[in-house]
Amino acid sequence: MTNLTGDTDVFSSATDTGSLKASVMFLAYRQDELPGVYSEAHRQAILAVLGDLAEEGWTLALRRVFDLSADNNPVGLDTGFTHEHDIAGVFEAPNLEAAIEGTVRLERAGWARLFRTEWLMGVKEFAPVMGDGAITDHGWAFLALWEWNDQWCEATPVERTEYDFECDIAFKGDLAHKVNIAGRHRMDWSHQWHHLGAWEIGHPDIADSAIRGHEDVADFKFTTSRHIVGRLTPLAELIAPRY
Amino acid sequence: MSNSIWIHYSRPRPHWYLLTEAEQADLQERWAAVRESAKAAGGSTQGRFHIRGQHDFQEVEIWTFPQTTDAFNHWSKLVAARYNEFFAFSNNIGLELPV
Repeated sequence: MTNLTGDTDVFSSATDTGSLKASVMFLAYRQDELPGVYSEAHRQAILAVLGDLAEEGWTLALRRVFDLSADNNPVGLDTGFTHEHDIAGVFEAPNLEAAIEGTVRLERAGWARLFRTEWLMGVKEFAPVMGDGAITDHGWAFLALWEWNDQWCEATPVERTEYDFECDIAFKGDLAHKVNIAGRHRMDWSHQWHHLGAWEIGHPDIADSAIRGHEDVADFKFTTSRHIVGRLTPLAELIAPRY
Repeated sequence: MSNSIWIHYSRPRPHWYLLTEAEQADLQERWAAVRESAKAAGGSTQGRFHIRGQHDFQEVEIWTFPQTTDAFNHWSKLVAARYNEFFAFSNNIGLELPV
């Protein structure tokens, strides 16, 4: 078991399959300002690598995290309307070796020409949780990176457990917002952020409303976080060449 | 399989300075044992370097591991020994490129 904290009412450990289930997150900034940098051939090469990754067991669509019968065509978040980065996304890979090698394969196929990218890799800790109503047609996604601050580190184990269950009140509020939570991913081993949470949401305002619930239970007394909202969009569209 | 490089930046959190010397020494001993077990498992390190003069962290450690998961396992043992509670950190993983 490699979880950083214990199970709560909302969260239970991801099923132990004997090997670590890895996650790959990206925040990508377009840099194809000039003709000749990135072309349709590069796009096709990236899609070919993504096709190979799917055959190798990767999950490329957030919906498929909740429903194994769902389509696995790669999906990203269109984030440029409210973030400096243009797109974001989360994939799941069979293991950490496959995760980092997959990022290199994508970069070499042409991704590096199109984007300046921050790749983050993690290990899945908690199983997915469906929101109230178990709605499956969410058009948007919300990604939250967070780290525990010095005050959390100084707190006693009892204080931390009490805090986890206070936050559980807010997570139950998220589920009442019909948010689907794709588990929790541990990122601390290869980054400054400790955790990633990925949600399906119905509308960008849902994220703000849900986060107010987290503020009400003082979630942020022990954490610093970075929040990302984007419209779920086929990656094939998001990586279309400009020229 | 390519080697993985693991770069670890760290600085003490404020409450580290509230521990007694004996408490600090006990923890340092536990973390040193984790580092030794990583070496026994095939990891190797360039050592620890002081970087506070040009960085917001205090030290950097550079390791190579046979596989990426070995880096994850090394970090998980440090966390189990409460290292992350007393030191702020930032970690990076990298994959060795073919020559």
